[in-house]
Amino acid sequence: MNLLQVRDLETHFISRDIDNRVRIAHALNGITFDVEEGEILGIVGETGAGKSLTAQSVVGLLRPPARIVGGQVRFEGRDLLTMSEDDLNAIRGNDIAMVVQNPRTSLDPLSRIGDQLIRIRRAHSESSEAEARSRAVEMMTAVGIPDPELRLSAWPHELSGGMAQRVLIAMALMNEPKLLIADEPTTGLDVTVQAQILELLRDLVTRMNMGAIIITHDLGVVANFCDRMAVMFAGGIVETGTVGDVFENPAHPYTSNLVDATPERLKIGRKAVFGGAPPDLYNLPDGCHHRDRCRFAREECSTPPPLREVGLKHVARCHFAGELPETAQ
Amino acid sequence: MTFTRFFLRRMMMVIPLLVGIVFGTFMLIRVGGLDPVGLLAGPTATAEEFDIIRAELGLDQPLWAQFGIYIGNVLQGDLGESWLSTRPVLDDMLDRVPVTLELLLWGVGIGAIIGIPIGLKAAFKPDGTFDHVSRFFSLFGFSIPTYWLGLMMLFVFFYLLRWAPPGIGRIGLMVSQPPEVTGTYLMDSLIAGDWTAFRSALSHLILPVTCIAVIAAAPIIKHTRAIAIEVISSDAVRYAKASGLPTLTVRRMVLRNAATPVLTFVGTELTGLVGTTSLIEYVFAWGGLGQYGLNAIINGDFTAVQGYVLFLALFSIFVFLIIDFVVFLIEPRAELQ
Amino acid sequence: MPSETTSMALREVTAEPEFSLWQRIIGLTRRSPTAAVGLGIILFFGMLALMAQYLMPHEPELVYAERVLHPPSSEHLFGTDGNGMDIFSRVIYGARFGFGIAIPAVVLALVIGIPVGLWTGYRGGMVDEALMRFFDGLRVFPSIILALAVVAATGQSLINVVIVLGVLDSPVFARVVRSEVLALRSSVFVESAIAAGNPTWRILFIHLLPNAIQGAMAQTAVRAAWAVRISATLAFLGIGIQAPTPEWGAMIRQGAEFMISGQWWVALFPGVALILLVLGLNMFGDGMQEILNPRSRAEK
Repeated sequence: MNLLQVRDLETHFISRDIDNRVRIAHALNGITFDVEEGEILGIVGETGAGKSLTAQSVVGLLRPPARIVGGQVRFEGRDLLTMSEDDLNAIRGNDIAMVVQNPRTSLDPLSRIGDQLIRIRRAHSESSEAEARSRAVEMMTAVGIPDPELRLSAWPHELSGGMAQRVLIAMALMNEPKLLIADEPTTGLDVTVQAQILELLRDLVTRMNMGAIIITHDLGVVANFCDRMAVMFAGGIVETGTVGDVFENPAHPYTSNLVDATPERLKIGRKAVFGGAPPDLYNLPDGCHHRDRCRFAREECSTPPPLREVGLKHVARCHFAGELPETAQ
Repeated sequence: MTFTRFFLRRMMMVIPLLVGIVFGTFMLIRVGGLDPVGLLAGPTATAEEFDIIRAELGLDQPLWAQFGIYIGNVLQGDLGESWLSTRPVLDDMLDRVPVTLELLLWGVGIGAIIGIPIGLKAAFKPDGTFDHVSRFFSLFGFSIPTYWLGLMMLFVFFYLLRWAPPGIGRIGLMVSQPPEVTGTYLMDSLIAGDWTAFRSALSHLILPVTCIAVIAAAPIIKHTRAIAIEVISSDAVRYAKASGLPTLTVRRMVLRNAATPVLTFVGTELTGLVGTTSLIEYVFAWGGLGQYGLNAIINGDFTAVQGYVLFLALFSIFVFLIIDFVVFLIEPRAELQ
Repeated sequence: MPSETTSMALREVTAEPEFSLWQRIIGLTRRSPTAAVGLGIILFFGMLALMAQYLMPHEPELVYAERVLHPPSSEHLFGTDGNGMDIFSRVIYGARFGFGIAIPAVVLALVIGIPVGLWTGYRGGMVDEALMRFFDGLRVFPSIILALAVVAATGQSLINVVIVLGVLDSPVFARVVRSEVLALRSSVFVESAIAAGNPTWRILFIHLLPNAIQGAMAQTAVRAAWAVRISATLAFLGIGIQAPTPEWGAMIRQGAEFMISGQWWVALFPGVALILLVLGLNMFGDGMQEILNPRSRAEK
């Protein structure tokens, strides 16, 4: 059985304009993916494709006006979306741990690092203060924080960005999670620190046999640190497969653009990389959402594309997946 | 950064503000078309008499020289003489400070005790029934004229129900005043152990304090709610929720993080409500600094007005400084700023 | 420049012609009942002010010498005051003072505050810094006391009340506009307008103003409420507007002495009218801010 099963997850931004008309942004349109124990899934896409929103929907952390309107999120077979807040709290921070985007603002500014680590441990297990403290030191050592005992009494604002990120990872590991979700864990860090932290994450995942999701806009991160990948575009997953399969045989035109376009610098920094702006989420086109940007768009593309299997566990949402001319010149 | 260094730096920042304020109050009576000389000399004065008075007031000198004289006087604590009371303005005001502080502190204190929990409760369940009711209450408090509320209170509780004493003064006419220690009858009677005086002083306090509390609570509710909502949607609180911390722990975290901004706001309220308090003093003939200032404004006693406005500005700066120091002491992040 | 400012403001508000006025009002009612109720109250008093001469059963300053301090009756719905004047008529007429002071005061505040905010936000530098410090410095004076003292010092005419309220209120608008301009200054459309060689005034008023004015507009109703309140307070203290004038604050002043002798109607009715108008303006302003600033409230 899969550790995490996400099926047809739909999240909308529902708001009203000045004339009280309801406006709906289709931010996630039927997301489906799995994560197994001991594997790292990389979710990659442009800014605004819905990567972070996927993570927030999974752990039930949406801020209004975002709301889940359909689908299932199963963790060890239990549906997180219909679960009571108390049951959910028993899982969050315990079995599912999250490493968020903004480490420095995400720590409680008025508590010392050590107290926060101890707090999260004791919220989920019956351990004593002393036990929790030694666990905290252990985890801080594991994530490579020098002088962990000393750092326990540091305030969040005294940490550098890289240090704060390590603290967040240490917090995530405090309760031996089964699933780790890391949302852009290395944005804002310099390159050497990035590599260290990702190396560390991968190491921990293998050692503790966790499942992990790494959300990033950096294809390099996916290529080097993930086992499988899911490519997101306009609130949907357009292709999933093992990292090797997807990079070697991209089946969706968007993925192939992504992989081909910038071989030397595998980054999707800009909003619109190629072929114009992403579609308006308030007003999605019928059929394939990628149509307007696709070099191969044909008449069939005005109907919703099916999920086509192009290899073992390698699927793409395109009418012509796997039949595209070998990277057109 | 140590406390002393913070203190010194903060004091340095206040100096230009002080100069500006003194200049502002100096200009206050000079920009107007008013002629203090005419007021003092009276309609029958001759041209020579005018010149003498003008020279006495230093008005025959250029503006900057006048300002120099004014600053010199202010620094020596000489705010001039009120022509209403023919006493030095500073003495007049110092006598009345405790009387006004008594009203202001009780009013804002009770307003905060009522307003902060209401604002927090509204923030924890935005758009619930409680939120809507508290929002209306707050809007109402923003809209009600202070003096009118005082008059209505007097009508209901003095005229109709006879529960409260008439709105004149701070203690019953037949009650002997307790020996002065703090300058407030409530405290002084307590110190003297005079229960009759204490009861009378308390009964005189209730209505005006209630008025100020109602008016103080409105903005406190609104801002506490806004602050708490901002804290609740902050990264830190969202992350705490994502970590599955118990609701109670998350709430405590929200309260602690909202405490500093709410405290700061209540402090600024203390200065903002001086105007409200003045009007309440006027309606209840309270005889404090606020009534003194209003009477000076109404009667054109401009030396007193000048002194009063300067005094209020200094009070505001004093309160802001105290808030800064308290925040410095309770906030681990303060040294960042 | 002033007329340009106001016409731009109107254009902004009346944009998006695809909705009729009626549809907009219905939309507003559903979107923010608070704002809609507030607007209703404002319109009600606006109507009183405009049609006062048709609605008043008596002349507001006509003395019925034999009917001094009569309680409410069918002839005098709100009773008569200490001079024997009909309070009902005077309350209706008083709406004119409410609007007559608040509207010009707020317009004046906009006319001063918007250009100042545009200019300081766009240019920055020393002038901006000094001005912001100055505005900060003003905060140490309680607004009511400052308004009272300045009106008393500069002369007690109605015009003066309007000018003082307008000037004292302008920093609010300057600040709001300035912060919007700061956010917009480095945006693409401003950069391209500069590159295209537009003169500064064009960049400020044609390019920046329409995009920076929303926040200021959302503040107008609340500031109008402030102006109504302060002007009534001035009249209550006998500053600016004097006694037999049918202004609500002045009427409350006259009724104050009767409050403890039981003639409650003299001060009650003008006070209720004053609260209602101020409440209406505040509700409308609060609702508008809620709509224009979606972060302030969660969406339903």
